[in-house]
Amino acid sequence: MTLSLDFCLILSTAVFCIGVYGVLSRQNIIVILMSLELMLNGVNLAIVSFGRYFIAGPSAEDISASTPQAFVVIVLAVAAAEAAVGLAILLAVYRRWRSAIAGDIHLLSG
Amino acid sequence: MDAFVFYCAAVLMVITGLLVVTRRNPVYSAIWLVLFFTQIATCFLTLRSPFLAAVQVLVYGGAIMVLFLFVLMLLNLTPEEMEERVSNRRRILSAIASLALFVSLVVTIRHSPTVNPTASVPFDLTAPIPVDAPESLAKAGEVHQIGNTLFREHVLAFELTSILIFIAIIGAIYLTKTRRAGLAVTRVAATVGTPESPRPELETEAG
Repeated sequence: MTLSLDFCLILSTAVFCIGVYGVLSRQNIIVILMSLELMLNGVNLAIVSFGRYFIAGPSAEDISASTPQAFVVIVLAVAAAEAAVGLAILLAVYRRWRSAIAGDIHLLSG
Repeated sequence: MDAFVFYCAAVLMVITGLLVVTRRNPVYSAIWLVLFFTQIATCFLTLRSPFLAAVQVLVYGGAIMVLFLFVLMLLNLTPEEMEERVSNRRRILSAIASLALFVSLVVTIRHSPTVNPTASVPFDLTAPIPVDAPESLAKAGEVHQIGNTLFREHVLAFELTSILIFIAIIGAIYLTKTRRAGLAVTRVAATVGTPESPRPELETEAG
């Protein structure tokens, strides 16, 4: 049983698209933020599989083989910051409008 | 064996991901999201990235998930407040949009010359690393090599990330701070003209 780069990339695409579906179809802001995490994880999976492919794959080079890993670490930190700020905004919005539904917050919709 | 584990994790990952976005109760979504993160960690392990698998469980399965559940419990939503007025038309349109994105990305991947080099068998991602490979390649997923790369080649990106996290902390504290005088809130309410709910009422309802 082998594992090709194709399959990894298609899997990460599937995860990303599930996240897109969540963002588009849900109204609860918390679930929208969770779907964003899903999308980020899909991208992380793609980066790691590309890293594995180029480390031991046909086009291996000796320079910075750990770069994809470092990249994923930074993506993780950015995701944590995004979750913290997003949930803080949600708390402030809930205090003001008493609602966690995205459709109820239409201050900027004119 | 590694590939078999990866395929099992992949199936579970898609199932739990779909459960996350379809559950009505956000608490159930959060619980399924924990399982989803562990499946991602399993995939990282089979792709020889043990450090990232550990960090995935710690940061995502631990910290971020606790943050989500904490906010959910803090909001203390009633079932009426969680009620989403999502029409079936919107659901179907979202499904069509995400499916179209999926199909177009898959077609792009299948036709990419990088992913599918012509006239060669597809490379097995779980194949063992050759014994004569240099250490920087063989141990690329381990914490020693990642630290070397992060602090030698990408130190600027690392520092920028730390500044970003610092700013995010300040922003989160500022946003969640309760204002006693309520200056900014009153100003917004006066401009928009919505009735402002007084602070004491919020305090008792939150508790």
